[in-house]
Amino acid sequence: MTPASSLQNPSALLSDSHWRAMPQADVLRFVRSLLLAYDVVGAQNKRGRIVLDSLQDAADLLLDFPPAVHSPKKFLFPNWDQLFRFKLDENILLQPETAAPPRIIFGMHPCDLHAVKILDDCLFDGESDSSYRAKREATLLVGVDCTPDEYCFCTSLGTDRIAEGFDLFLHRRDDSYLLQSGSERGLQLLQNHAPEIFDGVAESPLPLQVKQCSNKVQFPIESLPSLMEEAYEDDIWQELGQDCLGCGSCTLLCPSCYCFNVQDKLEINLQEGQRIRTWDSCQFDQFAQIADGENFRSSQADRQRHRFYRKYKYLWDKYQRTACVGCGRCSRECLSQIEPVEVLNRLFATAPPALISDQPGSEYQPQMAQVLEVRSLSEQDRLFKLQLPQPLDFTPGCFVELSVFGLGEAPFSITSPPDGGNLIEVVIRKAGALTQALHRTREGDSIGIRGPFGTGYPLAQMLGKDLLLVAGGRGLLAIRSLLLAALKQRQEFGRITLLCGGRDIESLMFPQDLLDWHQSGLLDCRIAVKDQQNHWGVPAVDVSYLFKDLEINPQRTVAAVSGPPGMYRQINPLLFRMGLDDEDIYLNLERHMKCGLGKCGKCRINNICVCESGPIFSYHSIKHLAEAIER
Amino acid sequence: MKTKIGFFDFAGCEGCQLTVMNLEEELLQVLQLVEIVEFRELMSERVAQLEIAFVEGSICRPGDRQRLQQIRDRSQVLVALGSCADNGGVNALGSDRTAEVLRQQVYGSDLPHLYTETPQPLSAVVKVDFRVPGCPIDGREFLAILQALLLKQQPELPSFAVCVECKLAEYPCSFDYGQVCLGPVTRAGCRAICIDGGGHCRGCRGLIDNPRTSPYHRILEQHGLCFDEILDQYRTFNIGEQESAK
Repeated sequence: MTPASSLQNPSALLSDSHWRAMPQADVLRFVRSLLLAYDVVGAQNKRGRIVLDSLQDAADLLLDFPPAVHSPKKFLFPNWDQLFRFKLDENILLQPETAAPPRIIFGMHPCDLHAVKILDDCLFDGESDSSYRAKREATLLVGVDCTPDEYCFCTSLGTDRIAEGFDLFLHRRDDSYLLQSGSERGLQLLQNHAPEIFDGVAESPLPLQVKQCSNKVQFPIESLPSLMEEAYEDDIWQELGQDCLGCGSCTLLCPSCYCFNVQDKLEINLQEGQRIRTWDSCQFDQFAQIADGENFRSSQADRQRHRFYRKYKYLWDKYQRTACVGCGRCSRECLSQIEPVEVLNRLFATAPPALISDQPGSEYQPQMAQVLEVRSLSEQDRLFKLQLPQPLDFTPGCFVELSVFGLGEAPFSITSPPDGGNLIEVVIRKAGALTQALHRTREGDSIGIRGPFGTGYPLAQMLGKDLLLVAGGRGLLAIRSLLLAALKQRQEFGRITLLCGGRDIESLMFPQDLLDWHQSGLLDCRIAVKDQQNHWGVPAVDVSYLFKDLEINPQRTVAAVSGPPGMYRQINPLLFRMGLDDEDIYLNLERHMKCGLGKCGKCRINNICVCESGPIFSYHSIKHLAEAIER
Repeated sequence: MKTKIGFFDFAGCEGCQLTVMNLEEELLQVLQLVEIVEFRELMSERVAQLEIAFVEGSICRPGDRQRLQQIRDRSQVLVALGSCADNGGVNALGSDRTAEVLRQQVYGSDLPHLYTETPQPLSAVVKVDFRVPGCPIDGREFLAILQALLLKQQPELPSFAVCVECKLAEYPCSFDYGQVCLGPVTRAGCRAICIDGGGHCRGCRGLIDNPRTSPYHRILEQHGLCFDEILDQYRTFNIGEQESAK
């Protein structure tokens, strides 16, 4: 259990928050009493700046103030933090001082309380940071309401209010306060230092106060991950790189940035010293400099991008929330006026419209594609060549949703290779009402299409490797897209082997393609069908028999296996026996796909969402999932 | 055996040597580890060989070059102490005119004993191993550099700008008062002492390795500062760098 939760979980005593009225004068009295026992840190006016500092006199404490220059990070994760002391000559490590002074941060805005939760998440994750933990445990947090200024954008992030994560919270109410307790410790503090308030009449809880910021993110914040996903190569980072001074103020002042440096500081006698931690910044030249002097993030544009991705993408991927709380400190102090809200809104404004839409529900609305060609592949399977309104960007293994109004929609793997154009091929097997209707369409008809969706084969990572493609039945559809893409740049790959299995010759997808490949000399194409009377005279065996005299160099081979569920259980052991690494085996879980957006929940295998992360997975990434390899 | 160190000076105000002397208590502790074998402000003795020479001031009088070369020859390590020695400092301000014109303007008639050349940093004459920047130097930084040298480590200067230390100390930004501040492009290490004192940064510690001059100039213009004002600020301590200001 993290200290955060152990400190703040409502206990039996705190079955419900205590709400008490607290006149302004009592707040002052309360703080005076606290000063006798604690280091009380609060907002004060110093040289015309609002700064958080230890209070000498309760009368100096500000309770109604815009965000202070530095956040409470200054005390919970200080810039100069001794990790331990050492003696040089005897090479002795002196025990670290983990005792932190008992402290109260009096007057934390909701955004700063949210920032502490982010620090908790990051610093307690994995090996818990003991120095931070010591300070966190010795510090009580008293929240206070705020009035946002022109730089604040907490309302866009939902950090303008907070229901937990504090020991006490002062809600402003006309000329007095309503005090809410948030923890056992907070209640005890009240009991010891303001007993008359503790014993006072219970007030009814205040609903969470919604604030107003003029500075707003103009899109739902839930769209951030997909927006950032597509923004990596955006020109805006170059622009920011040209504007940025690289002074690091944005990250130093950020309440949740915690990157640091560890260094030794010696006493003058050179006998002993301390190992200390100081704040670092990803905006500094040397932050990403590694051994040999190489800098892997050498331009300021890259550094700004990194900062934005750390704030708005990477933490979201892990905890489904931003690492930004909208306090505006970064832009308030930025000489170049780099303003995150403006950057995000610009990214949103220039994002491809298909990516995010401000029309609710339109991500479910298909575009119309024209049927250019229909070719019968077998009795049940037909190939459709479709023309879309705009070019389609996808990787082999991705899929689209095809629909007919009145009959719904279904996912189909794209079987043609990506070529940057607006033509694709899909194969539709006649099964239910929708596919029967699709089979009835003729050249020139229009059908609904959404997509492309999913994550396909990492073609770029496969360059220079031998490809072992194993397809069973309809599994050939995605493999064909991959194979044709590879054949377009045949010289970039080593040996290509295709092992294709089916029930009988008639059920093989693309028999003509298979014959062509077999005769082309570009690849080793082997076919097996179970039908003993097959007129091609291919071995009447299971596809696994085609492995028998296969020569594979496991070090340079990537395998893509695509077929019915049972096939993976059968083929994977053969691949392992040949020495293939589980990171070099790709499986196709296309049968799990459903809405395409990763929203409907149907495609979820344990914690993995097939529509987003798949349908193509390395075996390595899914082998630990109990539900993954279909049973 | 204690490491032998010495302090030497050329054209300068001796403020950097004074900063060393002002270390007082720390200086006494330092003396447990080093022996000061030459220091004109403290003593009159001379030695033949020493391990570390701290040299203040810039080179401009006849004989300076030869004397500096001799210090170099008998020192294992030579450290430029302060901006006069490091980059010419304020002395170099006169380098936009000839020494004759300068002398005429300052002293009037020709006075041969005041003959000087254009002031130059030590590195124009001898190999400088390390430097302690600043006008004057920062005492704590001097101690840290001395420590590193005693431990045979490579002394390191901050690579980031004065803005960092200014923000850490929560000082008000000079730009908010309409003052040109060289903080965004000047090497940190001074703990923004001038801003703390109500002034602005004049860049005495020299530019950072990678000054972002184009956004910096844009910011200066946004604050209504004209080119000459910018250049005047740059010139005070960075006359050699003024080309990059254009």
